[in-house]
Formats: sequence, structure tokens, C-alpha cells
Amino acid sequence: MKKYLRWGAIAAAATVTSLLLASCGASAPTGTSSKSVKSIKVVIAQYSKDQTPKFWNAFKATYEKQTGITLNLQIIDWNNIDQQSSTMVQSGDVPDILNENAYATYAANGLLYNSDQVLPAATKADIIPAFVKSGTYKGKFYGMPDLSSARALFYNTGLFSKAGITAAPTTWDEFVADAKKVTALGGGNVGYAQPLGPEEAQAEFAIWLFNNGGDFKANGQWTLNSPANVATLKFMKSLSVDDHVTQNNPGHTNRTDGAFSLFEQGKAGMVVGFSPLQGALDTQFKGVKYAIAPMPSGNAAPAQTYGVTDYLMSFKKAGNEAAVKAFYKLYYSPSEINTWIKAEGFLPVTTSGLKLFSSNPALKVYLDTLPNIHLTPTDDPEWDKIALTIKQNIGLAVGKTGDPQKFLDDLQAQAVAGK
Amino acid sequence: MDIVTPGQVAARGRSRRHRRSPGTARIGEALLWLGPALILILGVVIYPAITLVATSFNRYSIIGLRLGPAGFQNYLNFLTSPDLGQVVWNTVVWVALVVALTILISLALAQFLSKEFFGRRFVRWAVIVPWASALVISSQLFRLMFDYYHGIINQLLTSVGIIHTPIDWLGDSRYIMPSMIAVGVFVSIPFTAYLFVAGLNAIPTDVYEAARIDGSSAWSTYRLITLPLLRPAILIGVVLNMIYVFNSFPINWILNGSNPGFGNDTLITYMYKLAFKSAQHDVGESAAAGIFNVLIILIAVGIYLRFVNWRQGDKA
Repeated sequence: MKKYLRWGAIAAAATVTSLLLASCGASAPTGTSSKSVKSIKVVIAQYSKDQTPKFWNAFKATYEKQTGITLNLQIIDWNNIDQQSSTMVQSGDVPDILNENAYATYAANGLLYNSDQVLPAATKADIIPAFVKSGTYKGKFYGMPDLSSARALFYNTGLFSKAGITAAPTTWDEFVADAKKVTALGGGNVGYAQPLGPEEAQAEFAIWLFNNGGDFKANGQWTLNSPANVATLKFMKSLSVDDHVTQNNPGHTNRTDGAFSLFEQGKAGMVVGFSPLQGALDTQFKGVKYAIAPMPSGNAAPAQTYGVTDYLMSFKKAGNEAAVKAFYKLYYSPSEINTWIKAEGFLPVTTSGLKLFSSNPALKVYLDTLPNIHLTPTDDPEWDKIALTIKQNIGLAVGKTGDPQKFLDDLQAQAVAGK
Repeated sequence: MDIVTPGQVAARGRSRRHRRSPGTARIGEALLWLGPALILILGVVIYPAITLVATSFNRYSIIGLRLGPAGFQNYLNFLTSPDLGQVVWNTVVWVALVVALTILISLALAQFLSKEFFGRRFVRWAVIVPWASALVISSQLFRLMFDYYHGIINQLLTSVGIIHTPIDWLGDSRYIMPSMIAVGVFVSIPFTAYLFVAGLNAIPTDVYEAARIDGSSAWSTYRLITLPLLRPAILIGVVLNMIYVFNSFPINWILNGSNPGFGNDTLITYMYKLAFKSAQHDVGESAAAGIFNVLIILIAVGIYLRFVNWRQGDKA
């Protein structure tokens, strides 16, 4: 009995304290004290184990030497950065600079500086307009791009020539025919490695639907269940369910340890890849002979390059404006940003970077399309949730019993309801 | 009668000492000794628990910014989420089967390990190894072994001729839960088996001698002597395993990592996905789920202990 009383007392104390805590929970850091900060906290996502720390530690040294402000660097794995940044915001301990793949909700919650406050005008003018557009929320530029990547069709030329195919497919019909020929080679070869597991499925969906004349949004309205999108998802489902040209169970296959690894083993005829995959193929998996081509187009839609950019956003905190401004100024100086992008194997986000990288023939297929790159609607906070739903559930929609139409109708309903 | 019990002596001694030293000093002294432990408990048990409760009553945006009080909305959202039924069912299956299989296999294994035989030391080491390696590493290794294309399990089964086409252990909904349960049992056995080995060693040998003299068969000796005397160890084994297995995160997280939706999640991985992976991306709702999780495991353990006590009372 005593035991219960004791637990009761603890529970009561816990409740009272929790109410107290709740009333003074984390709140948006604001204020414009004139006192300048002596140090800033910079949280960076780890793109690769070697290059990311190497570059950012050198950057830290340069920054500290230039400004006299201490730069507290924290590098976090991509798998954990979402959780950690969310915890930082929740506990009111936001960094000054955060590197993430989404910014719109932060901007909508009023936590961020916009470019007028912290970005030198010349720097803003140098950023490729497509990225300025994707970083702009309600007319203000909050999401400063750190680097970009574009996706294209990688195909195994060894398997292609074995199957008697001479050129990369340019239409969906050719794509299916080629994939069938590669699959028919047997020996565990699959025509197309299709990653629709929760890791990065929204990217796979986006690149196919953009090349079928579809989009997530049109004229400011969500168009998730548009006929072009539904046709795209039905086509993606048919690749595994009807044509049997993909690896086993694409809805349950992630990109990095699933689709990419099949291509790296030389077992997949085609995969949608980007420059880091190219890097891996050129250094670790030299046995795989491959080439890169633009995505095949469905329904005679004009060719589109699907691109991704991540962001370096800055949080409004008392007295950190000058330090943040100095950070951006240094980061966007050609010797810094391009060094990193080159080391990581990504693509530039500035016009000056575009010029510099154009001397590299391996990047030509991407760079030509970079100014017209097609991005996901990252400028809409609602997209952050839509992308999560796609990642988490699209794999079910392309399964044998999946219903692409219903999945996209539900998605549209979610977006319109805004919850 | 002037019989003084030892208890009374002790009490007298206590009260005498109590009068000699002032109470305040004693509290200060006690706090000095208890301080480190209290700080530790406050920091790693009480404070997070309070934060959990506080979080569950607040509304957060998907980036973790507190938007205001939520009342019981987070609890309502959690209880009405469409995937909850499946997740609860998965959790029940997961906990019940892992614990039951672990206990059964461990009982047999403990019987074996407590016998003298050549190479026993080696076998004992082999059994304890899975316990020594981190769960994340074990799970990752199993993920590789279960792999559809390169996994050793499919290669073995096809080369022996048991199956002709590979099985998608971690992608086919018929096999995901059994695969996870197999790994769960594998990593739970070492602790449980050793618990039972200790229990068996504590049973006095003369009880067995008496049974043998009375002509008891091997099976009835086991059923009527070994099992009842092993009861405390089994009790502890079940309760601790229930808690461990219920709270287990790495196995389900890693083995189920490439599957869409929530069809194979347990309450623990579901709670994590609610906070960081699902479209809700809501730490408030996840905190509410966390409180339910604590309550559920407390109730489950309570029911089990009640059930066990009732049976004991019946027999006595």
C-alpha cells in the first residue's frame, strides 16, 4: 500500500512540475540586441565521412581567422539530422546556421533570417535563379542553397550490348523494351532497379512524373492526383507487377543499399542515379561499364531534369546578424563553395560555379540542364509533410495490391486539407 | 516476562542514537551520501519523464517548435490513428512469441549447459557471444544475411534444395514478422539461458537424490522438482524479457527499415516514426504514444505477475 502512495506522490509531483515546465516551454528566439555574439553554432549535414569534416574544419579555421568569431561546428549524419534539429528547436537551443533538406516550415514559423538581412547582394545575384526560386517563401529568400544534384538515367553498357541494345531509351516504350531485353539475359540481371522504399522514394516518383508532363503543383495549386501523375504511378507499378523488369519488390527497396548496390554489382541494366553514384562507380566499382543519358520521356513530354538542393538557413538570434552575414559571404566565395562541391561530387548552385565546373566533361550531362532544373515544391511548408507521406507510403501503392489512384487521391486530400 | 526480541534491541539502539544526534545533521549527512545517486535519478529518470508528460500536452510544428498547449489532442490523435490497431497487434505478437520461444529454448539450453560434457566451456562462450555484441550490429548482420539477392540464408536454402526461388525475408509481409522474431529470440537467449543455468545450479542435489530413491521418472522429476524450484528464475526471466522485448528498437528498426507504411511496426518504432518519419512528424503525439507505451508495459507486467501469484495461491 505504501508503495502505491509513494508512486502517487511522485506522479502528482511530476504532473505539477510538468505543467510548470509546459508553461515556459521553448519559444521562438527573437530580439535585436545590439551586442554582437562572440561565437556561432553551425550544424552541417554529413554528405560523406571524409570530405565533409575536412572541408568544414578548414572553413572553420578561415572563418575564425577572418572574423575573430568562434565557429562551433557540429556535423550530423543525414539519418539523424532531422531528429536532432527538431530536438534543438524543441529545447529552444537552435543553431545559428543549419544545413538541412527543407526550410519552408522554419521560415513559416518565423525563425529564419531572409536574404535581405544576411546575404550580400552580389552573392544573391550569383545564385542560379532556379535555386533562388526554390528558396523563396512568401516573396522572401530564406533557403540559401549549399549545393545541388541532378538525376539522370545510368545504364550498364556491358549488359546493354549483351542484350543487343545500342542506345539509351528515349521514350517509355523503348525503356520497357530495353528493360525486358536485359531481364531476359537471366543470371539474376534486372532491367531496372527501382527504389520505392521509404529512404528517398519521393525523388524516384518526381523524376518519372516530371518526364511525363506531371508536377506536384501547378499555378500555386496542388495537382498531386492529376491524370499525368496517376498515369505515371500506374506505369511505375506496372514495371514490377506486369512487366517484371525490376528487382524483387521495389516498394520495399531503398536506394542506397538496394537499387544502387544492384547497379554497382553490375546486376541492373538501368537506375536513376546522380553524381555521387558516378563517383562510387569510378573509384570502387570499376568493373561496371556504364553511361549516362537523359531520362526517357513518357507521352512525348519535353525532357526534364529533376534536381535536388539542400539549404543553409540561418536562425534569428540576438546579435548574430553580422556573424551570419560573414558566414554566408565566406561560404559563397568561389574558393570555398566550389572546393566543397567538387570534393563531394555534387553540382554548383552559383553562376560562377557553373562556369568553373563546365570544364569537366563528366559533368556536362548535368550542367547543361542545371539552369532549367526542375525542383520539388520545397518553398511550400506543406510539401515537407507531403514528401514524408510519399516516402512512407508510396511503396504500398506500387505493390501487387496497391492502388495508385487512391494513394494519389489521399495525398491530394492531405495537401488540400493542410494537415 | 522479560524477553527482549532482537528487533526491540535494535529499535532501542536506534532511538538512543537518534536522541544523541540532532536530526538536521543526519539529513545533511544522508543527502551527502545519497546525493550522487539522487542527482543521477533526477537527471536520467525523473526529468525526462516530466519532459515527456509536458511534451504530450503541447502542440508542435513539424520542425519541433512549440505552438501552444494541446490539451488531450495528442492523445486523441494517437488513439484514433488508423494504423494503431495493426501496430498493437504486431506488438502483442512480437512480445508474446519472442518471450515464449526465448523461455522454452533457454530452458532446454540451460538444462544442457548445466551438464558436464567435453567442450562445455566452448559452448557456454558460444551462447554468450550474441549478448556481448551490440544489438545494432547484430541486426545489421542479420539484415545482410536475410538479403534477397546476396543473403547467405537464401543461398544456403537454395543450394540445399529446400527452396527453389529466394524468399524475400524482409520484404514479403508473410516473412517479415517471423524473421524479426527469430532475431529477437536469438539475441534474448543468452541472458535468459544464463539466468536459468544459475537457477539450476541453486537447486540442491539432495532433492534429486530423494526423487531418484522414490523412483521418479526423468520427466516427472523435471516437471515436479526442477520446474517448481526454477520458478523464481522463470518469473524474472519472463518479466525482464517482456520489458526488454517490448522496448526493443534496433531489431525492428533495422530489419523493417526498407518497408513502406506501418504494417510491421511495433509500438516503439511506431512512436519514433510518429515523431520523425511520418507525415505527422509530431513530437507531441509521439510523446503521448510514449506515455501509453509505459502504461501498457506496466499493465502487461502487472497482469502477468497477478496471474502467476494466483496460480501459486491455488496450489498452496
